[in-house]
Amino acid sequence: MPADINRIKEILQSVTTDIQSKTPTRVFVSVPRNDLIRTVNILVSELGVQHLSTITALDAGTVFEVLYHFLVNGTEITIRTSCPKDDPSVESIINIFPGAVLYEREIHDILGIVPNGHPDLRRLVLPEDWVGGYPLRKDWKPPEGKE
Amino acid sequence: MARVKLPIGPQHPALKEPENFTITLDGERVVDVDIRIGYTHRGIEKLMESRTYTQNLYLVERICGICSYAHVVNFTQNVESVLGVQIPKRAEYIRTLVLELERLHSHFLWLGVAGHEIGFDTLFMYTWQDREVVQDLLELISGNRVNYAMNAIGGVRRDLSDDHRKKVLEGMDYLEKRTAYDKEVAINEKTILARAENVGILKPKIALKYSAVGPTVRASGVTMDIRKDDPYASYAEIPFDVITTDTCDVLGRIVVRVLEVFESIKIIRYLMEHLPAGDVVMKVPRKIPVGESISHTEAPRGEDIHYLRANGTERPDRYKVRTPTMANLPAIAEMLKGSYLADVPIVIAAIDPCMGCMDRVLLLKEGSETPGDIIPWDRLRAYGIKWYAERGWKI
Repeated sequence: MPADINRIKEILQSVTTDIQSKTPTRVFVSVPRNDLIRTVNILVSELGVQHLSTITALDAGTVFEVLYHFLVNGTEITIRTSCPKDDPSVESIINIFPGAVLYEREIHDILGIVPNGHPDLRRLVLPEDWVGGYPLRKDWKPPEGKE
Repeated sequence: MARVKLPIGPQHPALKEPENFTITLDGERVVDVDIRIGYTHRGIEKLMESRTYTQNLYLVERICGICSYAHVVNFTQNVESVLGVQIPKRAEYIRTLVLELERLHSHFLWLGVAGHEIGFDTLFMYTWQDREVVQDLLELISGNRVNYAMNAIGGVRRDLSDDHRKKVLEGMDYLEKRTAYDKEVAINEKTILARAENVGILKPKIALKYSAVGPTVRASGVTMDIRKDDPYASYAEIPFDVITTDTCDVLGRIVVRVLEVFESIKIIRYLMEHLPAGDVVMKVPRKIPVGESISHTEAPRGEDIHYLRANGTERPDRYKVRTPTMANLPAIAEMLKGSYLADVPIVIAAIDPCMGCMDRVLLLKEGSETPGDIIPWDRLRAYGIKWYAERGWKI
């Protein structure tokens, strides 16, 4: 039973009206990064969202986009937010979803997006001695002299 | 007693994939676990940005050597979703068949590994023998034992003949008989009960808190299965049950997987008896438009989710993969806390991590911060078995 798109629009109307859904089980909600925590809290309290599928981050040219994928009743609700390239940071959601701990470390590791309030930002997938920058940024070039 | 830090991995026989668990011990009890991953990071997401969609079809298959097909199905579903095409029904049925055969081989493989981890190698031999039947069927259908290369964007690359269907059904009859025996073993065999009951406890609240997935959460009584929650391929029209148990321990994770084998057999029989006629592949536009898509499947280990951002060129702008093991890692730390050191291998194995091989453990002597003896894997395993025997556990 997919989540009701009208219900999602209703509970989030105080935050955003940019809510899109092409198929019943995929909903994309765009919010400014300052409203991220508020939006996640509303989804938890009003829709009973319990499962964070993952966090995707990407270089969208002028900004970094961060997408939080939540699964509720078979519907994948994605909260899309963005941060400027000269201030690549978002609020950490691990106080609400402790399962985000590795996903936030990953976006920090590969794109340099800082989840504010995350207690442990060690590298996750890249080697500990990596000095080659953030590989998933579009302006990234492989370090010279190495294959 | 002084606390001891014990590094397990990245190269360790209990792990089928290089990961590092730094385990803090108080005597024999695990009090804390720190996990370090990335030892097999191959930069596939980055690589995909510089390859065409057709090349990526074969690259995603190589993310995993066991549940490779779940990744391919996610990738093709994502591309088809951006294209806005609906593939032929017969192709969906064939994809579902290969997905379920993959689950069978993965669960048999895991059951054997679980037996091996607790020193019960007979079970390992039995289940891996049965797994060969599945591998033969996969080879018959796709030409490959692993990395089946079955999918095309818009369908599948090979059709099923009547002979294939007959052989698949015969295989299911054999496997059903064999698994009935495995089930008896899993539920009644003293060796398994002694090592798996009340070990690696994961309460439903904690499982949900850490967003764990797959048989790991289903063994904690959480009904979560993407095949039912958000049906893909042809799962919406197939009758099957989601298996859960409420024991929250390693035994529960064994029982869930054994019973899931029966469900997979049921699904495969249904597919073979109701296989629709028609094409197995359709022509799709060569140009992938601008768009984005999320696809998730219930891989043998749990929810496998992919995200595609297409920018209208022949290469994806961003492709993100989150495998089920990644989702289960934070929960593993919770399962290990309070466990005995001797149970660490089976508790880690119980989430069915996609793993590699290891040679030895570094043992830090109690109260010391310098590496002490190096214990080979078989001695560590013998130690685990002896440790239980000394405490009066009949194994």
